[in-house]
Order: sequence, then C-alpha cells, then structure tokens
Amino acid sequence: MKIEIIRETLKNKSLKKEFALITNLINGDSEIFIPGINLTGIFSKYFNEIEKTFNSNKNCIIENSEIFVQTFKNPIKVIIVGAVDISMHLIDFAKNLNFEIIIIDPRGYFASKERFPNTKVINKWPNEAFNEIETNSKTALVALTHDPKIDDDALHYALKNKFFYIGALGSKKTHEKRCLRLIDAKFKKTDIERINGPIGIKLGGKSPSEIALSIISQIVSEKYKNKV
Amino acid sequence: MINFNEKKIFEEADNWIKDNKKVSLATVIQTWGSSPLGVGSRMIICEDGNFLGSVSGGCVEAKVIEECISLMKNKKVCKKIDFKVSNENAWEIGLACGGDISIYIEEIK
Repeated sequence: MKIEIIRETLKNKSLKKEFALITNLINGDSEIFIPGINLTGIFSKYFNEIEKTFNSNKNCIIENSEIFVQTFKNPIKVIIVGAVDISMHLIDFAKNLNFEIIIIDPRGYFASKERFPNTKVINKWPNEAFNEIETNSKTALVALTHDPKIDDDALHYALKNKFFYIGALGSKKTHEKRCLRLIDAKFKKTDIERINGPIGIKLGGKSPSEIALSIISQIVSEKYKNKV
Repeated sequence: MINFNEKKIFEEADNWIKDNKKVSLATVIQTWGSSPLGVGSRMIICEDGNFLGSVSGGCVEAKVIEECISLMKNKKVCKKIDFKVSNENAWEIGLACGGDISIYIEEIK
C-alpha cells in the first residue's frame, strides 16, 4: 500500500466522508472507493460488488476475486445534555470507542472550555442547539441534567427523531414523573418506552465514572442490538 | 463490521514513514470459526520490531512481526499468511480459541 492512500484515508476520515479502502491482494495496489465515483484498473471490474459491500457495512474479500474491501462509515454520535462530571468520564470512554461526542448545556459555568477542552460544547438551550446538530439513526441522546427545564426539550426532540438510543439520568421516581410529563406533552406510551430510565445497565456503581461506564455499556449494547 | 482504530494506526504509520523508517501493514482479511478479532483489524510493524494495533488477541502477533520484518528485508511487496489450528505449530503460535485467520502483510511505500 502506498503511504498516499493512508494519508487520503486519514483525510477522508477527518472530513467525515464515508468510503472504502480497497486492496488488490495480488500486488498490494490500493484505491479509495467513494460512492458514485468510478474506480480504475482491475477495481473498476468489481465496482458493483465493492459498492454492495460498502452499502452493507462489511469488510471482506469480494467473492471469486483477490479484492479486499474495508468499509469506513462515520462513527456513532452521542449527544450529551449536561456538561456535568459524568460527561467528562463519558468523553474518556467514548474516545476509545470512537464515538463522536457533542455536549449541550445552557449553563455557562458548566459548559466552559476549561472544563471541556477538545470537545464540542454548545452553550445553548437544547431547542436552539439541535438547529446546529445533524442527527440520524446513528445518534444517541444522553440526558444528564435531570432538570426538566433542560432535559425535557432534548428528550422531545429525540423522541420525534430517529435516535437509536435515548437515556435519561434520574431515579425511578424522577423517571416516573418524567414519563407523566411526556404523556401530558402527548407522547405515546410506546414512544416513552424508548427512553432508558433510569439510565445505564445495572453495575451497582454510584461514582460518576461508574455511572458513565454503565451508560456507555448500554449504548454499545444498543448499538449492536439495533445493528447501527 | 466497521473498524475504528485506523485513525490511530494510520497516523502512527505516517509518523514512522516521515521518520524514514520501514513500515509494514498487517490486515485480517478472512476468518473462520471463532477468531479473536474481526476482518479488517489492522496492525503496523516497524522494521525495528515496534508495532501498534493487533490482528488477534496476542496469539499470532509475534509471528506476524517476524514475517513483516523478513518481508521488508527481502524487499517483497506482500504476502498472505494463514493461521490454522491444524498447523503443526498451532499450539505454539496458533489461535487458542480454535479459529482460523488469514492475514495479509504488505510494506507501506
């Protein structure tokens, strides 16, 4: 493989492009596949098969060939509402799992650059913040302020959109009250059941890092359950 | 299956190349049975034996490193290495979990 291909791969990843890295196993020649753009040489012969592999999110050798395809799709996006202590630990875990993190918090003291260097923090109310964020079925919402003024609007947004995961921090009681507010806001029971509340899988831990671990574990589990 | 460690591995490969080191890339291209890591898992190997990433759970890395160093020394372009349980040396360097894997090694030029 040529170093130029590796540099191009890195560039595409930083530009958040979705693509595939294809290699001719006979001689090590590689090329980048981008949907809708023609390939050259031997690769052009297998264009349809490469495209199919890319669309099905697979890494594999094309049948009856010596062409290896590795698919690169954008990582999962986790939107955290609340620039709190747990969020800092979530960022640490997410880094190793290659999740993209965006934090929303209208409270200036919480959403400071000093507290969250190298992380995208939107210091606005959720309704305004969501105007700046693209969401899809590869997006998760983690509501952590347990302040209805902040969390509820974000939950409304997530329930109306295709988030693959929605979680909200708070005790069983807090969650029951939250569900009642959502019923008042005309959400269906089946919609409300999409919310993981109390958030996270049961690990038994109480510290912010342990709660973050239980949340991130639940997101990973839901990611595979929903084949995201 | 989507890999996500490429960024770290490819960035480091680029750094090593910029330092004028010889670097190889190893990729899991096929698996059968229960293999520790999925297809597309990658590892980079420097001529001095330093490496980053992985292609198994530590079962075959040593052999892959040796093969990559020899590939670079002999100025070969690429090679496919199969690790099968049925291999005689399977219990020394093979996969304890009972799977077979095919690894492709190539020098980064």
